[in-house]
Amino acid sequence: MSKIWVFSDMASRYPELLAAAASLGGDVNALVIGTDSAKAFSYGATTVTQLPADESRMIEDYVPTIAKCVTASGTPAVVLISATKRGKAVAAKLGIALNAGVINDASSVKGGDGVTATHMVFGGLAVGTETVKSAVAVITMGSGAFEPLPEDAARKGDVVTADFVPPPVSIKCLERRAKQNSSSVDIGKARRIVSIGRGLKAQEDLAMVRDLASALDAEVGCSRPIAEGENWLERERYVGVTGVQVKADLYVALGISGQIQHMVGANGAKTIFAVNKDKNAPIFQYADFGLVGDIYKVVPAMTALLRK
Amino acid sequence: MNIVACFKLVPEEQDIIVNGDRTLNLEKATPKISLYDLNAVEAATELAAAMPDSKVSALSVGGKILENSKARKDILSRGPDALYAVIDPALESALPRETAAALAAAVGKIGSYDLIICGEGSGDLYAQQVGLLLGSLLSVPVINEVSKITAGDGKVTVERTLETEVEVLEVPLPAVVCVTADINTPKIPSMKAILAAGKKPITVWSVTDIGASTGGAPVVMQSILAPAQADRKKVIVEGDSDDKVAAFVESLRKVL
Repeated sequence: MSKIWVFSDMASRYPELLAAAASLGGDVNALVIGTDSAKAFSYGATTVTQLPADESRMIEDYVPTIAKCVTASGTPAVVLISATKRGKAVAAKLGIALNAGVINDASSVKGGDGVTATHMVFGGLAVGTETVKSAVAVITMGSGAFEPLPEDAARKGDVVTADFVPPPVSIKCLERRAKQNSSSVDIGKARRIVSIGRGLKAQEDLAMVRDLASALDAEVGCSRPIAEGENWLERERYVGVTGVQVKADLYVALGISGQIQHMVGANGAKTIFAVNKDKNAPIFQYADFGLVGDIYKVVPAMTALLRK
Repeated sequence: MNIVACFKLVPEEQDIIVNGDRTLNLEKATPKISLYDLNAVEAATELAAAMPDSKVSALSVGGKILENSKARKDILSRGPDALYAVIDPALESALPRETAAALAAAVGKIGSYDLIICGEGSGDLYAQQVGLLLGSLLSVPVINEVSKITAGDGKVTVERTLETEVEVLEVPLPAVVCVTADINTPKIPSMKAILAAGKKPITVWSVTDIGASTGGAPVVMQSILAPAQADRKKVIVEGDSDDKVAAFVESLRKVL
């Protein structure tokens, strides 16, 4: 049976990582920076390994420490990491330190004879299925790939502390500042999403989209041009192959044409509603319910009806 | 400053055909420089322009796709002074670890370097690992998500844009950085640059020439398949009259 490890640079990602780890079976060891173990236990960790906290360190500096923990506890082993930007840097560095195969942005992970994971390739046109053959597998998990286990504050386990192993080459962090225009929204977890695309003519018109979202108690999402071309919404709200893959119950696509690169992110939704003025838009091939019409007329009318 | 810009040639996505059995047909797809690698090449060229006596070498490893003369000319027209290509059947469909190992060996054969610049991920597999693996294999500082590079004396200062934070980092050279897609806007090569590209030196090596080993791949690609189309109801109504919108909202209420 493989030893399973989980690590994230974002505390909020532990619950789903622990659920992914649990699906592989066996004991789950959570690597946590600092001394807060309770949350990891409550979401299914059987052991917590505490790494000494030090604000001056970069997350990547913990790679030799993590590698030492994994090596000491033996193989086969699987290390699951959140597919954040830092998580991917940690994963690749661990890949060399542990001579391990690495797979990023996994949308599923399975045990067996080698760990098998899937991830998007060719801009979302296809899914690649890869198997790690090395004794240690390092997988970064995409947001929303696994449903967290129910929280149980009564769960307890063993706490181990690890000594910090300094990295051989180190990069100096001169400054760390909050990113402008960033939000902590995680629409990968939203139950309902109202998503807007190129059909929106001006940034001010987002108000009508937000109104509908609020009437539906939904988060606002968007297609790539709205987040990366126009910068009208935060990148965290962009649904698509290089953005978020949603798992919502309801996805309402407004003025979105429905290119495959977007639908790859939206297809995980249980029910898709679409409004688009072009009846030939591909979105209608992917929708459960579609209305061919002008979003500027339909959206305010929908909001009014839902508020009644 | 001696800069190496790594790039990959990938099939043009628009030309890829999805077969009936959900496999991909790449035969008709023309080779192009992977989109995010254009940012790496542009970053290298801009940095070289800002530093006197700089040289930019473009480097790629792969299969016979790299024999494409149009693509070779394309990369050289974007600023690099020379092209190094490692072409070998063993590198056909290579995954990140084998690619990084071949790049590391090729860098050794090119000689000294100060900075290696890679893109954030390739347009085909988008594994987002090669640059990071390369730096780790070369035992030099390596960092991803770099959105700005400023050259200094024996170091570069970079900005790294993360989900909610920006880090300003001092990276001692030699080093490897992976740049983001928004670090720059790659320039369209001028006619003069395109003509000059034909005269720039191209060096081609095999895996044996660079002394790389390609065995023992830690990851195996099992399949690449287009996703199965989810079963949707496709109840589509044409027209945005009040009663049609009301019926649409009624369907919506049923799933709330």
